[in-house]
Amino acid sequence: MTAYLVRRCVQAVAVVFGVSIIVFIILHALPGGPARGLLGPEASAFQVHQFIVQNGYNQPLPVQYGRFIGQLAQGNLGYSYHYNQTVASLLSQDLPKSAVLVGLAYLVALIVAIPLGIMQAVRRNSLADYVTTGASFVAYSMPTFWLGILLILGFAIDWRLLPPEAPQGATVAAVLSHPQAMVLPVATLALVSVAAFSRFMRSSAIETLVQDYIRTARAMGVPERIILFRHLLRNSLIPIVTLIGLSLPATISGAVITESVFNYPGMGLLFYSAATSHDFPVLLGSTVVIATATVLGSLLADVLYAVVDPRVRLA
Amino acid sequence: MRHRRRGCRLLGAAAGAAVAAIVLAACSGSTGGPGSSKPSGSIQKGGTATFALPPGAVPDWIFPFIDSAHSSIDNRNQFEYLMYRPLYFFGDNGQPVPNDSLSLAAPPAFSNGNKTVTITMKNYKWSDGQAVTATGVEFWLNMMAAEKAHWAYYVPGGLPDNLSSWKVTSPTQIVLQLKSAYSPSWFTDNELSQITPLPSAWDMTSATAKGHCETTVSSCPAVWQYLYNQAKQVSTYGNSPLWKIVDGPWRLTSYQTTGQSVFTPNKSYSGPVKPHLSQFIETPFTTEEAELNVLRSGQISVGYLPTTDLGQKSVIAGSGYDLSIWVDAGINYFPENFNNPTVGPIFRQLYFRQAFQHLVNQPEYITKIFQGYASPTYGPVPISPANPFVDSFEKANPYPFSVSAAKSLLASNGWTVHPGGTSVCAKPGSGAGHCGPGVKAGDKLSFTLQYASGTTELTQEMENLKSTASAVGIDLNLSQAPFDTVISTSVPCQASQASCKWQLSNWGGGWSYSMDHFPNGDLIFGTGAGDNFGSYSSPETDKLIAESDHVPGTISQVENYEAKNLPAIFMPKADYQLTEVKATLHGVTPQEPTFNITPENWYFTSGS
Repeated sequence: MTAYLVRRCVQAVAVVFGVSIIVFIILHALPGGPARGLLGPEASAFQVHQFIVQNGYNQPLPVQYGRFIGQLAQGNLGYSYHYNQTVASLLSQDLPKSAVLVGLAYLVALIVAIPLGIMQAVRRNSLADYVTTGASFVAYSMPTFWLGILLILGFAIDWRLLPPEAPQGATVAAVLSHPQAMVLPVATLALVSVAAFSRFMRSSAIETLVQDYIRTARAMGVPERIILFRHLLRNSLIPIVTLIGLSLPATISGAVITESVFNYPGMGLLFYSAATSHDFPVLLGSTVVIATATVLGSLLADVLYAVVDPRVRLA
Repeated sequence: MRHRRRGCRLLGAAAGAAVAAIVLAACSGSTGGPGSSKPSGSIQKGGTATFALPPGAVPDWIFPFIDSAHSSIDNRNQFEYLMYRPLYFFGDNGQPVPNDSLSLAAPPAFSNGNKTVTITMKNYKWSDGQAVTATGVEFWLNMMAAEKAHWAYYVPGGLPDNLSSWKVTSPTQIVLQLKSAYSPSWFTDNELSQITPLPSAWDMTSATAKGHCETTVSSCPAVWQYLYNQAKQVSTYGNSPLWKIVDGPWRLTSYQTTGQSVFTPNKSYSGPVKPHLSQFIETPFTTEEAELNVLRSGQISVGYLPTTDLGQKSVIAGSGYDLSIWVDAGINYFPENFNNPTVGPIFRQLYFRQAFQHLVNQPEYITKIFQGYASPTYGPVPISPANPFVDSFEKANPYPFSVSAAKSLLASNGWTVHPGGTSVCAKPGSGAGHCGPGVKAGDKLSFTLQYASGTTELTQEMENLKSTASAVGIDLNLSQAPFDTVISTSVPCQASQASCKWQLSNWGGGWSYSMDHFPNGDLIFGTGAGDNFGSYSSPETDKLIAESDHVPGTISQVENYEAKNLPAIFMPKADYQLTEVKATLHGVTPQEPTFNITPENWYFTSGS
């Protein structure tokens, strides 16, 4: 297990390193450059030149990349002129907010999806299964922005029950101090996730229900409630654990569309804004962080899978 | 100043996120309106007004000596100016002219054949009790002289290069000696407009060490560095004692790094109108849609209606808002690359530019595409809002929409016109009736035109232009790219440079005369000007620009020459913003074409 973890960690470093090189090269291959993109056409050639020299964009690419890696090794992700803040500061500000939003949504989704999936499996091909399956497909196929707007129209504009935008606080504490403003964005993300998770849960539970140990338990007269909670639920959760692990990057990278609809300044929007404004330091910094989260999430999923399923052995 | 309308496993997943990033990267005369209407209820003292910032706009720079990287409408006009007033405030009753009432100094006195300027300060006070003196102006000029590279609006040869000296003659008076005579209007509008007096309390090189930038230019770099470093600490904006010293009507009492800014009245403001509101809040929005949702719920005092959501106009009105059109002093155009090695020679032919301009159906674009919320552009001077510079010749539209006129111009200058196809130069040469110098036999009227993506109106305009142009055999190959990519690509260049491959480029925002209020086009159409993206060059234009800079009352000559000579393709200018103002809030309009806002004039009436 230890050797496996060490090997995977080394692979992770190599992957992140590779991603950073790819992103670095492609960014610099874009037409124009960061100076004109950031300063805008208002800036004179003199000012553009000054910016390029001051930020070292006139140096050869390997030199620039070496400087980026050197800074990264010291924990310095760079400085965003677009936001007048260090990239680390921006990430430390927006990443926790996205984590709260997406994390809460996943939590709500799991709380609803797990019992729903089991109910669908136990009562498969019943009216309840058809209705909930249909509802799941509707929710799953509904674009997030559309769902968000519908919820705003209903709950914020027509009935005036909830605010139309997410909390605007700069910190997680400030965000959580307005819980009512989190309801709609969390609900939007959760509804879509419930649909996906419940389908996984239903499939997994149906597979588990036909296992020999379930049939044996029933033959031995074990109460249905115990079968469901002790045998069916625990064994059906294994694929969900994998899903949770793979959700880590999404939690870190934020939800661009939901954040956009609800004016929630999280990681998703930071990334989007950086991409559209040629904010190279933010793009590079956030890509490294998201890539790291992706490989760690994948590693976490594999490890959790081994923990919850004794049949799996990592070597 | 130009503006846009101001994240499989392992490598696969990570690379996917990276590729996604790259794809994204590549990818008023205000009308009479709410504020100007007579309030029906009684004026309410106090109240909080919220102001929606444009999508993505985050005020993030507080130091008025702003550099290019931070210069923006949301930083300067709608953030810093609330606290630190410029020497001459521009925007008066919806016109892009100096506002004598809100300026910190009396109108400048020109003497000595317009080579001497005397500035007399009014009786304004900083919030720390110190007077706003001529020394504050000298502080600024000294800093400009020492830190040209860090002043966003520095133009080589402009302020302070065109000053031979400046001297404080009394606490309320500073005298500038100019290197040559300048038109008072040009000098006031383009040069004095850049000055913002600074407080003595900012003349520091550290939190405890006094600097001497107020009196000595050589002391300024250390002072600038200190203030610059302080301004980089965004999270301190709301509580830094340094930034609390203001001479404007507002002081920043709370600031979040997301851009949410809370202002309260500066109780010692010595200007003509003291704030009525008890709080003014600027709220950032990530997207237009997010702002619209909040607007529809009635939770913002001054917001905007996205042009793509004009259909919601009556719904917003039903939510208790009045619509007011915010027109900025600007023009819209897109450049041809006169130095492109392939098609540059064609662009250099006046008859071709005339023909091309004849194909732009501005009235139809305004009516059908902008649904009336735009103004035509016929030259360097804005047609709207009303301003003292626009001349009747330019106003009359020298090149009205006419496909037949365009066809005739091409046919009579050596081109075989192929409607629906591609016209070809049949008569190369420089003489009358020939294609013109540098244009070869067989050259085709086929061009690439890159334009900014994401704006429905611009896409419609370009598609329409392509269709119309094909009627005279001009083949436009359209491509879209993000705004930043378009403006990054359309750079001034020499024919031999790799960067000179672009042919036609349209970022969609044109130019707003924001800091340079004198609209003679010197910064965009003058030979070698940094913002002359198409590398247009005309000795006559340069001569007339220089004349209008120096000789009073000559702007109409350069205006009309540029309108005739077409340094770029003129397009309709979209109104800056469709502002929605709560019906119970007054004093918001007229909105100034310089983007400045004056919430000290705003007040609620009872019932709000």
